[in-house]
Amino acid sequence: MPAIIVDHVHKSYEEFRAVNDVSFRVETGEFYGLLGPNGAGKSSLMRMLYNKTERTSGTIEVLGFDPARDELSIKYLSGIVPQDDNLDVDLDVETNLQVYANFYGLAARAARERIHELLDFLELSEKKRAKIRELSGGMRRRLIIARALLNNPQLLILDEPTTGLDPQVRHLIWDKLRLLKKQGLTLMLTTHYMEEAFQLCDRLAIVDRGTKVLEGKPIDLVKGHIEAYVLEIIQREASARLTYQGPVRRETIQDRVLFFSDSAAELEAIAGGLSPGDFYLRQSNLEDVFLKTTGRSLHE
Amino acid sequence: MNSVPIPSWPRRVASVWWRHVRVYSSSLFSNALPPFVEPLIFLAGIGLGLGKYIVSMDGVPYIQFLAVGLVLTSSMYTASFENTFGTFIRLEFDKVYDGMQAASLTVRDLMVGELLFTATKGAFFASAVLAILACFGLVTSPGMLWGIPLGFLTAGMFGALAMLVTSFVTNINHFNFYFTLFISPLFFFSGVVFPLSQLPEGVRWLAGVVPLTHPVELLRAAAGGHSEFGVVWNLVYLVLFVPLVGWAAVRRMRRRLVS
Repeated sequence: MPAIIVDHVHKSYEEFRAVNDVSFRVETGEFYGLLGPNGAGKSSLMRMLYNKTERTSGTIEVLGFDPARDELSIKYLSGIVPQDDNLDVDLDVETNLQVYANFYGLAARAARERIHELLDFLELSEKKRAKIRELSGGMRRRLIIARALLNNPQLLILDEPTTGLDPQVRHLIWDKLRLLKKQGLTLMLTTHYMEEAFQLCDRLAIVDRGTKVLEGKPIDLVKGHIEAYVLEIIQREASARLTYQGPVRRETIQDRVLFFSDSAAELEAIAGGLSPGDFYLRQSNLEDVFLKTTGRSLHE
Repeated sequence: MNSVPIPSWPRRVASVWWRHVRVYSSSLFSNALPPFVEPLIFLAGIGLGLGKYIVSMDGVPYIQFLAVGLVLTSSMYTASFENTFGTFIRLEFDKVYDGMQAASLTVRDLMVGELLFTATKGAFFASAVLAILACFGLVTSPGMLWGIPLGFLTAGMFGALAMLVTSFVTNINHFNFYFTLFISPLFFFSGVVFPLSQLPEGVRWLAGVVPLTHPVELLRAAAGGHSEFGVVWNLVYLVLFVPLVGWAAVRRMRRRLVS
């Protein structure tokens, strides 16, 4: 049984269409990602899963429940990590978790054990008595993840879990999420970090302006939707000296010129006439696919 | 399908109430001291100053007349602050509700639990005033102890009303209007500082419509004093006001919290 079914879902806010006919499925035990620029409708989709946002039309099923009718069952069985930090700043780390354990109706003793376990898992044990104001951004994020795991959820929903965090914390969180997946959890996340999506997700969908543009395994998306190699020429003046006119896709973005090809040799040939600091030859990645499908202009 | 062991709604409401108790008691000193100090200052001011000029009112020493009302104005103020500024900060700045909505709670659970906490706080504040009054020998009748349940209800009323107001407010400074134009006048025109019979005939009915009058009248009646509008109307008002305004407030808050 799929953990999440989203079928022809629309969401409009008065004049604005945030989500336009999006469908996808997340299988049990799968790690699924929604990748898209700001304002693409990712968060709206996530919030509709637990009825924080009401859908305008379409059907949604999460763990077998319709969020519009049974939000409590879904929220009881899922952990949700919202985009904003919303910890109780007046309470210490442990009490924050105690208060939430009580929301789920956990018995005092079970709650204590679970809190101990989770603080340990997210490497926050030493901060048990710390006030929220004393925590770094990365610690707060980890605490919110711990909070979402209190009730031993089957599904973890994460809305941009690592936005604004430094690489060390980001990698730590990635490791923890991978461990959770190993334990059998279904995970769903939104992000605009390509590397995050590439590293974590079994499958992902690229959403843009409220619609799903592409879907698949990250590696397949890179293989199937973009040439294997990219030659980036940083100085436009340098590219002006190029005389090459072969079957290579060329893109000009402000001061940079990009050549795409499945053959590295072709690109090397082009780069041959340039001095070393002027170009950068690399394998293409998810970011190239993302920019190709969602366009290079700002989405603001 | 419905085998998910979600806590019952009283349990959920109680868990929200408990959250507020934990937050409130986390800074016990700064939260629990003012309700005891405020009546002290008031009594000192009246006793040393005003009380020398006004000897008696409605047949009792003025300080005693005023004391009855003060038990409940403290509940009114604390509830009004709790569910205007307090609720607004939780809603817009700290995003506390967003987090709680991610747990197995509905918006109704959040708001009902919060109002229940406000009412509890009102009962606590009324108790604090009564304790200070007792120290000065101003609790002259055991009927004054009705101030505790009435403090609970007063705070329930003003909490619900404040929450309804908050559901419309988008700028925190707008609460100043509510306090200046509504709450402050109530202090003077609800039978707290002078008897309602002193109000001109033409506007006396107004006092019968606004909320604070009713618990104050009930407490005066319980303490052996005079009630202008009659105990029955006062009770009916209280019993209807809390659920009706509370229901409207919860509905409106849901619109703020679910998009």
